[in-house]
Amino acid sequence: MVHSRLRFLGVAGVALMLLAACGSSNNTPAAKVYKIGLVTDIGGLNDKSFNHLADLGLEKAKTDFKVQGDVVESKSGDDYVPNLTNFASKKYDLVIGVGFLMQTAMGTVSGQFPNVNFAIIDGAGTDANFNDLKHPNVQSLYFSEQDAGAMVGALAGLLEKQNKAKKNAGVISAVGGISIPPVNHYIAGYKWAATMMDPGIKVLVGYSNDFTDPAKCKNVAANQISSKADILFQVAGGCGLGVLQAAGQAGVYSVGVDADQKDADPSVIASALKKVDVATYTAIQNVVNGKFAGGALTFNIANDGAGYALDNLTVSADIQTALDDLKAKIKAGTLTPPADIPA
Amino acid sequence: MAAVRRIAGGFAVPLGSVVFAFIVGGLIVAVTGGNPFAAYQGLLCGGLGVACSTTTGENPALQISTTIVFFTPLLMTGVAVALPFRAGLFNIGAEGQLLAGSVACTVIGIKFSSLPAPILLPMVLIGGTLAGAIWAGVPGVLKATIGAHEVVTTIMLNYVAQWLVRFLIVGGPLQAANGFSASTPIGAGARLPLFLPNTPGLVIFGLPAGVYRVHTGLLIGLAALVVFAVLLWRTSLGYEIRAVGQSQRAARYGGINVARTIIITMLIAGAFSGLAGAIQIAGVDHNLTDKYFNDTTGFDAIAVALLGLGSAVGILFASILFGALHAGGSVMQADAGISSSLVQILQALILFSIAANFLRVLRLPAFRRRPSAPAPTAPAAALMTEAAKAPPGETT
Repeated sequence: MVHSRLRFLGVAGVALMLLAACGSSNNTPAAKVYKIGLVTDIGGLNDKSFNHLADLGLEKAKTDFKVQGDVVESKSGDDYVPNLTNFASKKYDLVIGVGFLMQTAMGTVSGQFPNVNFAIIDGAGTDANFNDLKHPNVQSLYFSEQDAGAMVGALAGLLEKQNKAKKNAGVISAVGGISIPPVNHYIAGYKWAATMMDPGIKVLVGYSNDFTDPAKCKNVAANQISSKADILFQVAGGCGLGVLQAAGQAGVYSVGVDADQKDADPSVIASALKKVDVATYTAIQNVVNGKFAGGALTFNIANDGAGYALDNLTVSADIQTALDDLKAKIKAGTLTPPADIPA
Repeated sequence: MAAVRRIAGGFAVPLGSVVFAFIVGGLIVAVTGGNPFAAYQGLLCGGLGVACSTTTGENPALQISTTIVFFTPLLMTGVAVALPFRAGLFNIGAEGQLLAGSVACTVIGIKFSSLPAPILLPMVLIGGTLAGAIWAGVPGVLKATIGAHEVVTTIMLNYVAQWLVRFLIVGGPLQAANGFSASTPIGAGARLPLFLPNTPGLVIFGLPAGVYRVHTGLLIGLAALVVFAVLLWRTSLGYEIRAVGQSQRAARYGGINVARTIIITMLIAGAFSGLAGAIQIAGVDHNLTDKYFNDTTGFDAIAVALLGLGSAVGILFASILFGALHAGGSVMQADAGISSSLVQILQALILFSIAANFLRVLRLPAFRRRPSAPAPTAPAAALMTEAAKAPPGETT
């Protein structure tokens, strides 16, 4: 009995393999189509943030240009090098890495494939010490997060000053993921603008040391809420969803980050936007137009690569005017939000 | 003939579980509008370098290399779970032990970075091995002396190890100077040599030689399997371990020091895991990065040990399968557009069907005639029942 069953399993297995081998393989492109490979970081496509936005940028490019866009989600840090290498070895026209976590992998792979173009969100191709290798085939897509942080910081400051927040104790806060430059840029702009609008304001800053687990950010947020914070700015990716939830449960306001997080929780009054979709689209557009260049491209309010969205809150006309005024000043360069968190 | 039959019967359960998982996975893909054959073609191509579509341009050599890199640590962590199984212990802490090994390897590799390879490489590997042994030895001692359940203590030590990694590289003493969550790299002498030379400009199998990351840690992993098999079946310690796993009372009656055996088993298991961690640093990453915080090798190892039925050969095949699934998932997503999350589904289904052991139903007499005596427990389930037994303090 065992033998016949085994034989059946063997036959089934071989049949499955043969079927798989003969399976569909006819997706040959007709004309010159630009092949774009997108590698997400461990957040995955459903992060409602960076990776999602990068994918949106790719999708838009697919409708506008002759582009074949393929996406691979990295399940762990072990996947970065193989995933980038996979696209590069297949001679893709542009390989995009999402996120600074991929910097070292990007440095390694871009060095091995000098004839393939790479772009990386929020980082560069670096060696193991995180020194930019400045490979001419790598384009860094950076953001002035402080621009976006300043807009939501200004909103928070104005609400506190006009006593339109929930507790009006003059305390707001930010929850960072890990204390790294992109996170601190956001918080720097936030604190700077809030203080500018309401000089007496107190801005609490905490870190969860995590970008994925909402529970950890919820803890940090709960502490801040018990310290009378009533507007909480999350700068912690997927972990930060816990901040939005904590704010919702405590009946205070929260501010989303990177993407428009209006739907993540009713407590979200605004979101600081890092337009990764614009950056991704621009990088692809450059390749299609033959204008790819190594080095850094910075996206900010002036080139519509950073900004903010008002979410589940209707602001008064004077607040809107103040925000528009600040945005115009940053755009014109008369005001420059700081990159480092002010004391 | 009976022996052959028994061995074949032993392999039927894991093999059946894998086939079951692939059939259910294929149905999931089909129901959600995908093409299961394209998905599995991508998996096969990405995992084993065979049956690659001619249009997508995968490089089989590259894929095989990637799979080997992925499964190498599973060989050793698989042993780290399988050996305690044999003693009736459920080591959930392979991940923490691996991390302890990685940390020790990194610390030694940075502190003594100027030493030459013949001295430094053994230092980092032994250091990692010892750290892993200590990390598993603590639950071992606690289990043997006061009866603290090893499942709970090893899980808790996983958290300690994970957050220790975070502590060290995020604002801690190992963090590199530039503000990112990673340590500085280990010295050149602490790195395991690659099989293929990483010379710039050298092209092998149509790609730059540097893309093949297969390192000599593979040999260490295979050697670990041999050591495991010999230890378990050819030494008196191995006999004692198996005896304790079968019945602690009988073992004690037979003159075996149960407490000592439990401690030694955990020490050896941790050593294997710690070695795996050291090899990941010395052979692949060369620095401690944030990815170790989210690493799941030690948890995959539980599945590998169960699927491999706690035998060396089984662990080898199960590791290759899991490594191939890992490497193949990306290719499947890139080429067939099927989310690589399917791989996690497959892995869970495999584990599920082994744990539930419902394939046994096919063999039940009820399926042929009518219910009679209960069917013999399959090896994996037996291992888990043993592991769930009460600690020695309560069995006197």
